[in-house]
Amino acid sequence: MAFVFETALNLLGFVVGLALGIFSYIGFKNTGSPTLFRLNIAFFSIGIGFGVVGFGYMIESFILNYSQLDGWIQTLGIGIQTIGYFFIAFSHGIKSFFPKSRYFKSIIFPLFIIPGNSIEHIIRSISFILLVYGTIETIMSYMENRKRSTIFVAAGLGLLALGEFLGWYSIVFPKSVLYFISLSTKIIGLGALFIPISQVPLRGGLKFGSSI
Amino acid sequence: MAAVYRTHMSIIGDILSTTRDEAPDESGASVTYLIRKANVSYGRLAKILETLVQQGLLEQTSSERACKYRISSRGREFLQAYRGFREFADSFGLRI
Repeated sequence: MAFVFETALNLLGFVVGLALGIFSYIGFKNTGSPTLFRLNIAFFSIGIGFGVVGFGYMIESFILNYSQLDGWIQTLGIGIQTIGYFFIAFSHGIKSFFPKSRYFKSIIFPLFIIPGNSIEHIIRSISFILLVYGTIETIMSYMENRKRSTIFVAAGLGLLALGEFLGWYSIVFPKSVLYFISLSTKIIGLGALFIPISQVPLRGGLKFGSSI
Repeated sequence: MAAVYRTHMSIIGDILSTTRDEAPDESGASVTYLIRKANVSYGRLAKILETLVQQGLLEQTSSERACKYRISSRGREFLQAYRGFREFADSFGLRI
């Protein structure tokens, strides 16, 4: 039962992440904006990360009939999600530190030194830091623009951070309810990021970006 | 008050908004008028106007004194889409 619930939540995360990614992609195709391109990569990564875990577990249990599920699938999925969180935080970093340089923006790459003890543990820590940073920056933006949708995004990123923290903490108490609470919190957080979508026109026909 | 940095895309949005909402007459807005309203230098504005006309977002109209620019129906669609996606990015505290 727990396995079914876990898989369903991961697949829900896959769908929500993918939907957000598609919206960002339509925005990028319409405007050619690098910010929307980064959000597009971020949400596709988050969605694919959830999908890797969900589909990976399904394949292992239903097709390969494994009794014990591989831990590397979980690590791989979380790693891909972290790339998405990085791109969200990275967009804020560009705005804060490189507001005028178009060239610096394209050459900054992450440098993470990863010790070899627990990859999943470390990946979750990185995700948590990136998400907390994204949440703080979004709250700061809310203080400037006072838009209600910004609060939903800040809450969404905050819930994703809390979910990652609980996920990291579930390593201390393996096979406890903490992991499911972590996963549910992350899905609710991802759902909160959906709020601004309602303001986006659902059209993909216009293509101006590459020339403008 | 701190200066607000505008992206290339937001300058295009400002130019299109000016030609749609603030053009002085039906023949469109002159370059001088756009420089003042969109707050862009002549050199930069000239390049952007050329691109926008090539893309079919602006229509160039000739008057007795100088060229004027009027927003096209395609430009209106683009402006509407741009505003929607700008709202989306704003919600994340980002600029497009």
